[in-house]
Amino acid sequence: MEENLGHASLYALRLLLSGDPDLWNIIGVSFSVSVRAILISAPAAMVLAFLLAYARFPARLPLISTLQSLQSIPTVVVGLLVYMLLSRRGLFGDLHLLFTQTAMVIGQIVIAFLFVVPMAHGVLAAADRRAWETARTLGAAPWRAMFTVMTELRFGLLAVAIAAFARIITEVGTSIMVGGNIESVTRNIPTAIALETSKGEFAQGIALGLVLLVLALLLNVFLGMLQGKGEMR
Amino acid sequence: MNGVDVSLPILRLTNIRKTLPTGRRLLEIDELSVHAGHCLLLTGPNGVGKTTLLKILSGLDPADHALVDYGGTRLLWPAARRRFRRDVIYLHQQAYLFDRSVTDNITYGLHGLGLSYAQIGERVQRALEWSGLSHLAGRNARELSGGEKQRIALVRALVLTPHVLLLDEPFAGLDEESRERTGFLIRRLKSEQVGVVVTSHELLPLAGIADEHLELCEGRLVRPAKTVQRASTTRRLRDAELHGHAAYLNTRAGDEAN
Repeated sequence: MEENLGHASLYALRLLLSGDPDLWNIIGVSFSVSVRAILISAPAAMVLAFLLAYARFPARLPLISTLQSLQSIPTVVVGLLVYMLLSRRGLFGDLHLLFTQTAMVIGQIVIAFLFVVPMAHGVLAAADRRAWETARTLGAAPWRAMFTVMTELRFGLLAVAIAAFARIITEVGTSIMVGGNIESVTRNIPTAIALETSKGEFAQGIALGLVLLVLALLLNVFLGMLQGKGEMR
Repeated sequence: MNGVDVSLPILRLTNIRKTLPTGRRLLEIDELSVHAGHCLLLTGPNGVGKTTLLKILSGLDPADHALVDYGGTRLLWPAARRRFRRDVIYLHQQAYLFDRSVTDNITYGLHGLGLSYAQIGERVQRALEWSGLSHLAGRNARELSGGEKQRIALVRALVLTPHVLLLDEPFAGLDEESRERTGFLIRRLKSEQVGVVVTSHELLPLAGIADEHLELCEGRLVRPAKTVQRASTTRRLRDAELHGHAAYLNTRAGDEAN
């Protein structure tokens, strides 16, 4: 087994370095879907987080509690809900989005949104309120004052967005349910690892696992640098 | 701000009421007026509501009720706060400067006024020279000392040519030199017909600056038994100090630039 694992790892490295088209297509799908999802969901989630932290409205506290509870929702449950909405008999069945990259993007948007709102709310609620008051007293309109506060907290908020990206690019539940794991179309890194492992083909699974590990390492280094920068100020 | 009738208040609030979420009545003030070129000193123990009052005056915190006379119009507080924008500026006890350069901090409020970049640059340059802080223009505001931050915050407010400036404990935590410089800037603001309201636990730095002294006591404004020396009685001394400080600041700025 150990010998097999060693061989598989070497073969995986060779696949990666030789530019194997199938492997790099899978990596491309993963990044394409997750980058789109985070770019759409993070700004919207941060605006909602800001409103929860700075605006005062009746349902604010129950809404915060609900969103905090949903932060750790299993991705497979999100996949199930999106599947129900996009399936033929679902509310958006006529759009024929099931088993497309768009469906995967929608699923990951939901996951990232539910992850970012409570995390960003924590960052914003703990921030120095003088930033908001100073912007307002200097005549900034609410939207500009909000943007100013977010700029002041850019390191913390970017760290939240990066953590959310790490969560969605590694999730398998939603991708496999609404993407369908179709080769060259919706097969991303986690679904490919699941498939190759079930077939006993470890090399490609290990190669893809290495990509995720390197990505996790790079994101962590980047996060560490951001935190260092944030602490210096 | 030329041509302002100093006999009439620029800003007058009546029937100011504020209750805390705990149910405690914090403010119950019948009238508060701010005049152009005058400095009103507000004192009172900690937690009595001085900061809340300033924030209500600036439109940052809501009052339960307040009638506002501003710019010749009588308005209820929620409607009045929109009129306050840029005209009534509140400065925190510890000035908050954005994480950007001193120049970017000063220009912050000028964007959206319809000024060209050249006009903005000119205004900032003039304000920095006026305050003797030109040598700090390119520095990140977060790297400055407490006194420098306080003065940059004053300059940032000044470029907006406000009608009223609300200063919350502007001398707290400052060394003697910074106090003198801050006091000098407040005098200059007054001389430019800005109405100033200051809260302070320390009376000495405001001798010769404050024209009126009120104490906030159990939610109401009263005249205190012990009051700060009125500005009118020390006019000569103040003028002499003004010239002395200006010369001092010019020399100082020159030294620091070298």
